[in-house]
Amino acid sequence: MSEQQKTTRATRAAVWHNPTGWRALTVVSHSVIGKRFMWTGLVFFLIGGLLAMLIRAQLAFPDQAFMSSDIYNQVFTMHGTVMMFLFALPMLEGLAMYMIPKMIGARDLAFPRLGAFGYFCYLFGGLILMASIVLAMAPASGWFMYTPLSSDVFSPGLNSDFWLLGVTFVEIAAVTAGIELLVSILRTRTAGMSLSRMPLFVWYILVTSVMVVFGFPPLILGSILLELERAGGLAFFDVARGGDPLLWQHLFWLFGHPEVYIIFLPAAGVISTLIPVFARRPIVGYRAVVLAVLTTGFISFGLWVHHMFTVGIPQLAQAFFSVASMLVAVPTAIQIFAWLATLWGGRPVFSLPMLWVFGFLVIFVFGGLTGVMLALVPFNWQVHDTHFVVAHMHYVLIGGMLFPLVAGIYYWLPLFTGRMPSMQLGRWGFWLSFIGFNLTFLVMHFTGLLGMPRRVYTYEAGLGWDIPNLISSVGGFVMCVGVAMVLLDLIIHARFGRKAKANPWQADTLEWSMPTPPPTWNFDLLPRVRDRHPNHDPQLQDETWLPAMHHGRRETLGCDPVSGEPRQVIHLPTNSWWPFVCALTLAILCVTLLVRAYPLAALAALLSLLLLCGWSWHNGLRKPHARTLPTQDQLPMHFASFDSPGLWGTNAALLASGSLFMSMLFGWFYLWTVAPLWQFPETSPLAWPLLLAVCLLCSLAALLYRRAVVRLRQGDGSTLPRSLWAVAGSGLAACTALALLLRAPLDITGQAHDAVILVMLLYLLLHTGVATLATVLQLRRVTLGYVSAAAPFEVPIVQQLWRYTQLVAWIILLVLIAFPQSWGVYT
Amino acid sequence: MKKGFPLPAVHPLQLPLGLIIWALWFVTVYGGLSVGCAIAQPAAEAGALTWINAVLGLLTIAVSVLLLALARFCMLAAQRGEPPERLFIARLAAGAHVIAALSTLITGLPILVFPPCV
Repeated sequence: MSEQQKTTRATRAAVWHNPTGWRALTVVSHSVIGKRFMWTGLVFFLIGGLLAMLIRAQLAFPDQAFMSSDIYNQVFTMHGTVMMFLFALPMLEGLAMYMIPKMIGARDLAFPRLGAFGYFCYLFGGLILMASIVLAMAPASGWFMYTPLSSDVFSPGLNSDFWLLGVTFVEIAAVTAGIELLVSILRTRTAGMSLSRMPLFVWYILVTSVMVVFGFPPLILGSILLELERAGGLAFFDVARGGDPLLWQHLFWLFGHPEVYIIFLPAAGVISTLIPVFARRPIVGYRAVVLAVLTTGFISFGLWVHHMFTVGIPQLAQAFFSVASMLVAVPTAIQIFAWLATLWGGRPVFSLPMLWVFGFLVIFVFGGLTGVMLALVPFNWQVHDTHFVVAHMHYVLIGGMLFPLVAGIYYWLPLFTGRMPSMQLGRWGFWLSFIGFNLTFLVMHFTGLLGMPRRVYTYEAGLGWDIPNLISSVGGFVMCVGVAMVLLDLIIHARFGRKAKANPWQADTLEWSMPTPPPTWNFDLLPRVRDRHPNHDPQLQDETWLPAMHHGRRETLGCDPVSGEPRQVIHLPTNSWWPFVCALTLAILCVTLLVRAYPLAALAALLSLLLLCGWSWHNGLRKPHARTLPTQDQLPMHFASFDSPGLWGTNAALLASGSLFMSMLFGWFYLWTVAPLWQFPETSPLAWPLLLAVCLLCSLAALLYRRAVVRLRQGDGSTLPRSLWAVAGSGLAACTALALLLRAPLDITGQAHDAVILVMLLYLLLHTGVATLATVLQLRRVTLGYVSAAAPFEVPIVQQLWRYTQLVAWIILLVLIAFPQSWGVYT
Repeated sequence: MKKGFPLPAVHPLQLPLGLIIWALWFVTVYGGLSVGCAIAQPAAEAGALTWINAVLGLLTIAVSVLLLALARFCMLAAQRGEPPERLFIARLAAGAHVIAALSTLITGLPILVFPPCV
């Protein structure tokens, strides 16, 4: 290695340095954050597994007194909650966060600090949930928390509050990861990686990210409403006060069914990556698979009511969801046939990862078929709430997620550790897991068909359920031994495993072009991709990008979302305390809300707001090295453009917020048309001229901001301060008008009608307040020279906030005043 | 349509467009059914021959035709000499539109059979 090369490597290592000790909390590197997600997910998996074994121990024999019914309720609720919210999705997101930049030829994700923030939210939310077990106050209403069982009347302790606040906190992590992955895939691919050349795994993660952005907000809204009902007495799900418990089921399953596919799709992405590698031929039907993934992503949002077939919905509506539920099997089948055809046409090598792929194919196909059975309304009625559903769910989730995950971990293990797994121990682990799993859950189908209901803590002898339950319990423990063996294999291999050669599986994707394990900056030079098999391209290093790091910036390429051609150089933020500190204060807010210490909660909220503002203020542009323009690459820096990754991230966040808002509108119309005791007062409690004034002020702010952006695009930044003053003034006036509106005589604890109005007004106030605050901060940054015609990238971001706020204001006016008025419900 | 449609066939938003239209149709049909039953519930004896079924059925046909027209629009664009990555989008979008149209028709089939509010 020449002296110059050594210097270059040392420079790179210095720029991308990850500190240790306490300062490890400041690390934002995607590799570290991805691995933290996965390690934490593994710990939660073990806890969830332990809870599962407690369940199986309890049900192994009839009339067992091993656990009381109350403890059993807590155990099965926490098993589902831990596995769904704390293991499955975070684990897959961690894998995606680790792999995606390496597969698309980037040095890091687009928003490294957001990723770190999401991780800490996940960790703290998980710890809050775990605390409920330690305190023997764990949620006990099932992982779906159906009302009225989870309401304060039937669950008076803090048990349900732990779930509502803890899970909502964890969901913040899911949404931030979704936004980060979405923008990273669209905007940070290496040169030439057009959409048609993206690895299939990246397509799967792209679709999953969009699903997360749209799918999680309904549950976030549901959790907020239920917590408001429990803690503040507001009426949303109480029939007597104009609410409806079925609204919770709708909001939960609007999230819950896409969630199954959110978990399945990344795992299927692993399968689509591994099969061509081990079949030693390209995948059959790349375009058909992409189409199938897109279709699955959409149709999975149209199935939620099949969880509610027994609640009394008209036959025609049930038929819509029944057909859609069967329809979603078609794109899944397309993928399965593409995988089989690839294996058929290739020369498969049955290495260890392929064993798990084989296990996936068998189990998932079986789970998919029972899914089609459950889509049929009469059959669904018969087996509703029996162990048949439990068995189906585990076939889909363990077969569709755990088996591919283990396959993927074995496949990418050389990247993580630089060593190969042990084939012998790994095979034992697989077969024990596979046999144990089928012993447990195949038999459980019959237990369900014999009529054993879910969620019962024990059963009488002589009902025919004794033997199948015993077999399921034995199978559960056999599977446990298998999983333990896999973990042992993974631990041992890191110390004694054979050192991995370069590209040990002869794969064609970019991550294998790196050394194993890769450096923290992934690629010394970002390559140009010419086809779907870049690692087999001898010309891969003929054209390279971003060689220099002497300026001290962390950089990656910003690309055109379609063609993948480089557009700009993205300056990435470095290690920081902000993500940890902000997540910590939000965790304090969460805990103070949980124990209902509201003055402290108000203080924590204020502190969180200040810290989040501080974080947004301290971005890289304030440092001198950030402004040094690159000399070797003829590309502009991202802050010199109007189309930065930040704008895309804001748009994605607004889509998530929009999904929450649409769920709110759904709630309003649902209660209006379905809730039996929903009542409109004689006149609207809101002063419509005041709401109209809010709309006009928001529109004025958006219009003024738009004019400022137009001028800035023309290179004229001179009027920017004046325009921002005017926008901030309009925003402040709108906030004041909203505060006055909130003084309306709303009977929020007596009528769901008024409670929903309050939530909508608070939502609008939140957005108006954030947009106003962002404008004031912009004003200050313009004054200090951080924002100008030469560095305008922040301005369009705040513009989007105003556009969205304006839209929300007018919709609220329409929905709360104009529409009911025209319908004649107010006199 | 070739000239007038605001979104070119090779625009990446064509990829989700058909399925977004399907999703909007789905929500409209499900929501419309509930609202229809709330405001003017037809007699159960009328079976599927009701004003609600008629409105939902016509909407289903209209949306399917729109989606098929979009598919044709994209397929025609795919036959022109576009750059490869744009061709990829046009072909994929055409496929997505066809799938969305078929999904609409198949999901809408029960409108022909079931009474709306029973």
